[in-house]
Amino acid sequence: MAERLANRLKDKRGELGLTQAELAERVGVTRKTVNTVENGVFVPSALLALKLARALGEPVEALFWLSAE
Amino acid sequence: MMTERSVAERAEILSRRRARMLPVLAIIYLSQQGTYFIGTVGNAHLVRLGAWVILSIVLLLALVTKGFWFHSMEVRELVDDENTRANRLDAIRLGFSFGMAAAIGCYLIDHFEPLAAGEVAHLVLTLGIGAALIRFAFLERRAHRDG
Repeated sequence: MAERLANRLKDKRGELGLTQAELAERVGVTRKTVNTVENGVFVPSALLALKLARALGEPVEALFWLSAE
Repeated sequence: MMTERSVAERAEILSRRRARMLPVLAIIYLSQQGTYFIGTVGNAHLVRLGAWVILSIVLLLALVTKGFWFHSMEVRELVDDENTRANRLDAIRLGFSFGMAAAIGCYLIDHFEPLAAGEVAHLVLTLGIGAALIRFAFLERRAHRDG
């Protein structure tokens, strides 16, 4: 069965009242990269996933998980 | 001195500009192809061919480097972030495949109809760079659009 990387980046970002651009700036990427990760278009590297988790104050496994297609 | 904020904003503007410009560049590049095949001789033809070679080199460098050569390293690093690098690699892989397919096609055709080296180089470059440009344009525009 195919699996994909699901995430709750958008929800968590919304809870903290951050825009995509603000989160992108905290992580050191462009807004486009945050946008594609949130929408599941782009699978981030472990490094970027950890940076996003740190920026949102969550453990990485609370933000990303494997989901069946 | 540029602030952190202005670097991020600048990178966003450049990234969007690139996404808008890539399809235009692809159209200009591919529409120039007639120059080689319908041209005959003369200085005007040589000038057009020279312009095409220069454009090919510039586009190739834009594809394989971070681009935006006249901007600060800080902005260039940001505009070439993880997603952009992934998109670029995807585009280069497709361009390489098209270039190799063109080379194989030319090799086979040459057995029936001899081809000049210039014609082969032209086809390989055109298909390789053209395919990579179109793919990069598609991926970058999609990345900006989603959400």
